[in-house]
Amino acid sequence: MGEAIVVTSGKGGVGKTTTSANIGTALALQGKNVCLMDTDIGLRNLDVVMGLENRIIYDLVDAAEGRCRVKQALIKDKRFDCLHLLPAAQTKDKSAVNPAQMKAIVDELKPDYDYIIIDCPAGIEQGYKNAVSGADQAIVVTTPDTSAVRDADRIVGLLEQEDIDPPKLVVNRVRSQLASQGDMLDVDDVVSTLAIDLLGMIVDDEEVIKAAHRGEPIVMNPNSRASLGYRNIARRILGESVPLMAVEEKKSFFAKVKSMLGLKA
Amino acid sequence: MWKVSTTVEKVMIMAQLAEVKAMNTGPAKNLVTIKGTKEGLTVFLNDQCSYDALTEELKEKVARDHQAFGNGPEVEVKVDVGYRFLTKEQEHQIISLLEEADPIKVKEIQTEVISREEARKEREETGITSYSQIIRSGQDIRVKGDLYLLGDVNPGGTIQATGSIFVLGTLKGTARAGIDGDLRAVVGASVMDPHQLSIAGTYFHAPERHEKKEKGPLYKEPVFAYISEREKEIAFEKTRLLYQMKRDIEKD
Ligand SMILES: Nc1ncnc2c1ncn2[C@@H]1O[C@H](COP(=O)(O)OP(=O)(O)OP(=O)(O)O)[C@@H](O)[C@H]1O
Ligand SMILES: [Mg+2]
Repeated sequence: MGEAIVVTSGKGGVGKTTTSANIGTALALQGKNVCLMDTDIGLRNLDVVMGLENRIIYDLVDAAEGRCRVKQALIKDKRFDCLHLLPAAQTKDKSAVNPAQMKAIVDELKPDYDYIIIDCPAGIEQGYKNAVSGADQAIVVTTPDTSAVRDADRIVGLLEQEDIDPPKLVVNRVRSQLASQGDMLDVDDVVSTLAIDLLGMIVDDEEVIKAAHRGEPIVMNPNSRASLGYRNIARRILGESVPLMAVEEKKSFFAKVKSMLGLKA
Repeated sequence: MWKVSTTVEKVMIMAQLAEVKAMNTGPAKNLVTIKGTKEGLTVFLNDQCSYDALTEELKEKVARDHQAFGNGPEVEVKVDVGYRFLTKEQEHQIISLLEEADPIKVKEIQTEVISREEARKEREETGITSYSQIIRSGQDIRVKGDLYLLGDVNPGGTIQATGSIFVLGTLKGTARAGIDGDLRAVVGASVMDPHQLSIAGTYFHAPERHEKKEKGPLYKEPVFAYISEREKEIAFEKTRLLYQMKRDIEKD
């Protein structure tokens, strides 16, 4: 029986879809059976980030309303046989499905997968309620800025009222430079405010944007800095204890030289 | 003052006379007795008989003594119902029966018993409610009496109490104490870094973020906020001095 994990944030644009795509792909890389589920009805993106947009025939709403079987709406990934996507509908809106229908779909998928990763839309309304209805666990994504953290906190408060495990935190788009200069919250500030377990952090990396443009999740590129962060998260989900590295980024060559010389990096 | 006391005396004499009269006319019931105390007149209502018997006698006595009371100046009386529980309607009935006699004004009904509901309210208003959780953005808790929070109040979260608030954690959001106007309420926190804080409608706003010189909370050691007598604004003081202030307040 698989585990359903919802990826949520409150605030929009902080990296839910990027995180869903990459955690899902990283788990598939480890040989797990994974189903990605896009619940952002009307604003679907997950198919684009995965580069699967031109294979969609049926979608989540079709499955919910019985126009097709759930299995018929699933799309197989280009890279991994064990990775599937259930796309959202682009023409409808969030009210096209209700939490009960969503839970029924998740429950139907669970026996066939190890993990079901549910990409949640921004906000705390119907779309959010739909997305969490079938979840066993939750990942809250935030960026290290005041308003994203405030919204993440709101979501954590709402998740605590649901019948799911305590949520885990992913801090995305970390820029160590800004934090150390005091122009941005650092990861410690974020973790201490939200007071939930840190699952991992991802550096701000323009390769992520390029990868999304190509339709190839960044984890597929082992040389990128963000890729390492996502791979570590996947390993932690699988139960390995992977130590948190300082911002999980390789220090630049100059920084290394400076620190060797005892200068402030 | 003097006038009132003579009226009180007059009423007492009349009441005693009435009782003597009652004794003459039939078996003494004495379910209703009037006594004068330092604070004025108290009407004692027997708490063992049936309610109907009580109102019956009250009606009789008031009717009989109606003239005795005359239309002199107002007399305030207290009604003591002992261990009898009266519903709101019954209370009203008793008051209106007594006030049939024009000068009588019932100033309070005293009882030894209260309903469960009243007991609960009383406990709430004087008691301490404690929570052990993080008050997150968008959450708002409100209690009667004092509030103890074992946890943080995050930015965007709010806690409110009619009494004082004590946060054993970091106060980063909003705290409102004395929301029904208690000027003596205080807000204490292990780490005081609120966005906004108010006591009985007097507000404190955190300094603008860009004005903050250094990183970190507003106060680095436990402090409490109170309304300063002199400036009529929110002031902060080290928590270990709280007992001194409480003592000064009690002296007033
Ligand atoms: N670590 C990162 N470094 C650089 N860019 C990133 C990173 N993570 C996400 N982005 C970029 O941020 C943008 C928003 O990301 P994404 O679509 O994943 O957010 P979202 O939370 O799903 O948004 P929405 O709320 O609209 O669904 C995208 O352009 C994405 O490529
Ligand atoms: Mg998205």
